[in-house]
Amino acid sequence: MNGYNFAYLDEQTKRMIRRGLLKAVAIPGYQVPFGGREMPMPYGWGTGGMQLTASILGEDDVLKVIDQGADDTTNAVSIRAFFERVAGVETTTATAEADVIQTRHRIPETPLSADQILVFQVPIPEPLRFIEPSEEETRVMHALEEYGVMHVKLYEDIARHGHIATTYAYPVKVDGRYVTDPSPIPKFDNPKLHMSEALMLFGAGREKRLYAIPPHTRVESLDFEDHPFEIQAWDEPCALCGARDSFLDEVITDDVGGRMFVCSDTDYCQRRQEEVA
Amino acid sequence: MRWQGFSDPVQDGQRHFRRVLAAMAEPGTLHDAAATAVPEDAAIGPALWATLLSLCDLDTRLWIAPGLEAGGLADAVTFHTGCRKVATPDGADFALVTPATLVDPAPVFAEGSDAYPDRSTTLLVVLDALAEGGPWRLTGPGIPDTRGLDVGEATALMTRLAANRARFPQGLDAILGCGDCLAAIPRSTRLAGPVSATPEEDRTCTSQ
Amino acid sequence: MYVAVKGGEQAIANAHRWLADRRRGDRERDALSVAQLAEQMNLAVDRVMAEASLYDPELAALALKQASGDLVEAVFLLRAYRTTLPRLAETVALDTGAMRLERRVSATYKDVPGGQVLGPTYDYTHRLLDFLQLADGEVPEPARAEQALEACPPILEQLDAEGLIERETDDGAEPYDITRDPPDFPVDRATRLQMLARGDEGYLLALGYSTQRGYGRNHPFAGEIRIGTLEVEIAVEECEAPVCIGEIALSECQMINQFAGSRDRAPQFTRGYGLAFGRNERKTMAMALVDRALRAEELGEPVQGPAQQPEFVLAHADSVEASGFVSHLKLPHYVDFQSELELLRRLRSAHGQPDGAEDSRETVDDGGKKKEPAVEQDTNESEQVSP
Repeated sequence: MNGYNFAYLDEQTKRMIRRGLLKAVAIPGYQVPFGGREMPMPYGWGTGGMQLTASILGEDDVLKVIDQGADDTTNAVSIRAFFERVAGVETTTATAEADVIQTRHRIPETPLSADQILVFQVPIPEPLRFIEPSEEETRVMHALEEYGVMHVKLYEDIARHGHIATTYAYPVKVDGRYVTDPSPIPKFDNPKLHMSEALMLFGAGREKRLYAIPPHTRVESLDFEDHPFEIQAWDEPCALCGARDSFLDEVITDDVGGRMFVCSDTDYCQRRQEEVA
Repeated sequence: MRWQGFSDPVQDGQRHFRRVLAAMAEPGTLHDAAATAVPEDAAIGPALWATLLSLCDLDTRLWIAPGLEAGGLADAVTFHTGCRKVATPDGADFALVTPATLVDPAPVFAEGSDAYPDRSTTLLVVLDALAEGGPWRLTGPGIPDTRGLDVGEATALMTRLAANRARFPQGLDAILGCGDCLAAIPRSTRLAGPVSATPEEDRTCTSQ
Repeated sequence: MYVAVKGGEQAIANAHRWLADRRRGDRERDALSVAQLAEQMNLAVDRVMAEASLYDPELAALALKQASGDLVEAVFLLRAYRTTLPRLAETVALDTGAMRLERRVSATYKDVPGGQVLGPTYDYTHRLLDFLQLADGEVPEPARAEQALEACPPILEQLDAEGLIERETDDGAEPYDITRDPPDFPVDRATRLQMLARGDEGYLLALGYSTQRGYGRNHPFAGEIRIGTLEVEIAVEECEAPVCIGEIALSECQMINQFAGSRDRAPQFTRGYGLAFGRNERKTMAMALVDRALRAEELGEPVQGPAQQPEFVLAHADSVEASGFVSHLKLPHYVDFQSELELLRRLRSAHGQPDGAEDSRETVDDGGKKKEPAVEQDTNESEQVSP
């Protein structure tokens, strides 16, 4: 694209982000402040993830972009088209063929491998934000490893509902130290963060924070002995591919209450259907 | 100028960064970085030279330990990256050192604070030897089970890095270079040495 | 048979074409030129430049045209362009006392050296629609003075021999740069002013107004408002004197506020400060009110109103950030919504059952506390902002 650098960002901005990423990897789960730049897409639409992707992407990389697990949702299409245009990289919808995967709200069902990098778009990187709105305060809480309030919040859920009523963006503890927001993935995906083969990078553009979970890192979802962490389950399999191990989206099929459940990961579903056929 | 820059700054810089990122994400793994030649009388090898080229710029402060300027390194870094050189390491983003630099009394580096642990110096360490499977045992993030590393005669360095755990999240991250070869030991790594340097494993981590 | 929705690419391309058509409107009419907008929509252009932090009337007018007059969108366009520009040099600090004035008023001193100058203001226009402008009426030339106004030093510096008004002194510190580094709270005043200067005018106006209505009242007087143009200079190595690289229009507001004094400081008038690119008088007045309100803690005043809370005010002032995050709610949230659906069904089924007869998927039964009505649960869930 004329007038812009490879992958849109100028080299100085990339270097600033790259230095931040190295610190993020060295301090797993800690939110590194970075000089987030405006991107030619609105804040909240993945600008943090895009800045990280732009900073790590090379001309030989194959890129996959998903939103809600799907390659064909409009924002995924738009971000993929952006990188095709500004970096000229090859793109794919196949999880296994991608070097870099940018995602919003899901971790692919197909297990990731070493050498792959998963880049998360993060809206609110601070897991304590809904308990304590002040950045000054939450920074101190992280510094002192003072996470009692988070447990109180979760326990209040239990007292009120009999359950921990957090279903997505479910907080985790990384390598036994930092309480971290896994981005708004469903808690169904939380176990995939633990001892992952792939490096996972998180970018929050508007909030100007980036953080990382290296491969082979302990990631525990916060819970209680008498209320252990559990993931969502469905009574029926995917209506298209029959999968019983994937996160299912509910699809309304008529106006009299008819509905079906299908995989949210379109690539996974497609591949399973092809295998069956 | 005998020190060469990247022939393609955008793509070479990206490729080398990915090596450093992979090294940092999987501590103790070796990465080949033969990208850019250095003068014969240089004290540092191509791996660390490429690291300087890919990470330093106008916004970066570099400290070079005495003895490592051989071959006109200091001027070359300024020429190629524009980074600022600082007289004391505690104000440096990157510090180019050897294990001997870290022998007591070692200079003071920035280790960040508990609130901003990222505001710390990254060590770029010039090593005489670097190989997988050595006497130093690495565990922690990025390491399935445990990984061995041979860094040659570098006890002062490894003792210093082993002390990181006691002060976590403050600490020093190290990028190790030996000729064309690159590895890293971030502060998250627990180190167990062959003899004296015992790692500080005093963190008992619970989610309470 | 269910077919997943596909074809995002085509849909996006079609949306862009339709948008271009809507922007152009009736092809029978003349298209607006960017030059026309820069000239005749100059206040809109000035607002876009101020909030985008980029002084370029032509590009701001282009952004305005491209955004069909949507100011927030235009600010975003120009800001996104700004971020791609290299930083070539830093200017010498501007001295607004050297401004070539076109307007200068003070509400605190009846007569000021150099005089009060109304300039081209809407202030005393009667807000009657001017139907003549429906037709293309001729506009007479303005009356011109024989001589240009002399540069006048700021009124507050000139008229306060008694020292009743606090002095602003340069402490020589290198200011933080919010366009390069993220603000880390608490931030100093220079950082705050930068954030306010690019803050959304409507937001600052409402916050400033709230202080006047009692939410952090600080008894403001408009000490001086000045609008005019100023030369921008950079220092060049080979030259002794700084080199002028152009001229920009600026608006500045110095608010004087009461201060009752504290144990350490005698009672004194304090100041709030507003500065913006272009002719942005309302913005600078609002900014000055908010700046002063944010000094509450520094001055030992009780923090009672939203406008006195720095993190709250500053973290939400940027229209590019705010509109992005509000509008992102349009993006799909199927997965999060599905997660909530699943939970809600579970909670509702548990709610209808007698104690102990838990849903089978529940690992551990907490018994007793399941009598909260479903409505309550909804309320609780809504606290979790769906990002």
